[in-house]
Amino acid sequence: MAYSAEISRTNPTAFVFLVDQSASMNDPIGGEIPQRKADVVADAINRLLTELSVKCAKEEGVRDYFHVAVVGYGQSVGSAFSGDLEGRDLVPLSQVADNPARVEERPKKVPDGAGGLVETTTRFPVWMEPVANGGTPMVRALQYAETLVAKWLADHPGCFPPIVLNLTDGESTDGDPSTAAVDVQTHASADGATLLFNLHVSASEATPVTFPESDEDLPDAYARTLFGMSSTLPPDMRSYASQQGFEISDVTRGFVYNADIASVVQFLDIGTRATDLR
Amino acid sequence: MRSFISTMSVQKDGSRPHETEDASAVLPDVARDEEVEGQVLAAIADGASESVLAGPWARLLAESFVHAAATRPNTLRNRRTFGRAVLGVVHEWEDWLAGYVADREANDRPIRWYEQPGLDRGAYATLLAFQLAGTHGQRWYAAAMGDSCLFQVRDGALSRTFPLDSAEEFGTSPNLLNSRNTDEDLIAERVRLTQGSYREGDQFFLATDALAAWFLAEKERDGAPWDVLRELACSGTDEDFADWVTKQRGNGDMRNDDVALVHVDLG
Repeated sequence: MAYSAEISRTNPTAFVFLVDQSASMNDPIGGEIPQRKADVVADAINRLLTELSVKCAKEEGVRDYFHVAVVGYGQSVGSAFSGDLEGRDLVPLSQVADNPARVEERPKKVPDGAGGLVETTTRFPVWMEPVANGGTPMVRALQYAETLVAKWLADHPGCFPPIVLNLTDGESTDGDPSTAAVDVQTHASADGATLLFNLHVSASEATPVTFPESDEDLPDAYARTLFGMSSTLPPDMRSYASQQGFEISDVTRGFVYNADIASVVQFLDIGTRATDLR
Repeated sequence: MRSFISTMSVQKDGSRPHETEDASAVLPDVARDEEVEGQVLAAIADGASESVLAGPWARLLAESFVHAAATRPNTLRNRRTFGRAVLGVVHEWEDWLAGYVADREANDRPIRWYEQPGLDRGAYATLLAFQLAGTHGQRWYAAAMGDSCLFQVRDGALSRTFPLDSAEEFGTSPNLLNSRNTDEDLIAERVRLTQGSYREGDQFFLATDALAAWFLAEKERDGAPWDVLRELACSGTDEDFADWVTKQRGNGDMRNDDVALVHVDLG
């Protein structure tokens, strides 16, 4: 059965995050809290890298179940890591964990034990900075991901298939991305084809469309293009998404349209949910 | 009554032997297939791999429990005494952990930011403890938290299984003991206790979940898993056992997970 390979240190898999860094990412995201889209996406990626590191931490260090690339696309296309990892593509998770560019102290409210909340600080490691300028060269970004995935699969032919997560807020400015998306998904391991999931960040108040099974309720051709580019969720992610309260079927796609802050976080959580760690 | 005790373990594929998070302990502390007289105490624990320091926690639980039951024979017969014994191990763990953190500092490897949340949550493990009383009218007692299993075999047939009865019961989230949980009442409420009688010729197997699930599935296919394990325990080497486990995993008959087994043979 496809998408059932164990993920282990001897058989790791890869996550490639494609992050839209075009000028429009300066605009506020839809929803109640007016945060810049670029900030929301950078925060969500940094938080996810933190959670992955904690999840894979054992007493001897972080286990390399995953190798991770964060690729920005806007004025240019390339690694979005800053600090010691600047310019690196797929990085073993242990090196990610040991090399945040910096660690911020952020305020956090915790229970005071008497029914109220008290403000404290939490450490927030940062690997990528919010960037917003230039166009949306999504075709080149997908081609960049394809190169990384092809190289990864040549070295790891039996792995749980690599997962590419594309987070964008607008239409591609370098052509129709559909063909480049298919090209990414044609690369396969013995366990299945590379997965490509897409998330569209909204600037509007429109209700998010999360993990749809058809493009019927999507508002325009652009949304339908992104839907068509998205892989169906494999079984483990389907059951996890279902536990999270989403209505899921066998043809549910890894796609979110008009995402607000909460659905950005859910998209990353579900799209990287590879459960069989050994 | 005399008995022969063997303990065996194999780490999951892809791990190194010292990374196993399953643990076992027996009293008297004997090597493979060694003869003992009188009371036998045994425990196995399965550290949850999602938690940090699960292996050391499982080892401490198994070791402490056989000693607790040796000192206080009621430990496995009463919910309260079981709960109190777990609390004792939680306090031992606090000391162990303080020493561990100090060692890491001393060795220039202080606790990193990504380890702290795991340490704050504590380590998790199942526990199955077993007592074959040498002096109480041939009774045995067992206490279980989670899905590590005890099997009693008499006259070539499976006569008792505890706490799970069928292969399909595995896979849901088992009850676990947390290294920071000091809620004695909750532990006392959740522990499963049982007892039974034994006689010459009986065999007991204590197995962590992957092996226990294989055992029950094999039984459900009208096999005699006890014969296979007895042969490996009595005549095989550690390597034979590891090879056999690898083969079952390869056939898809056993989940790739750490394995621990204690065999008590009254034959």
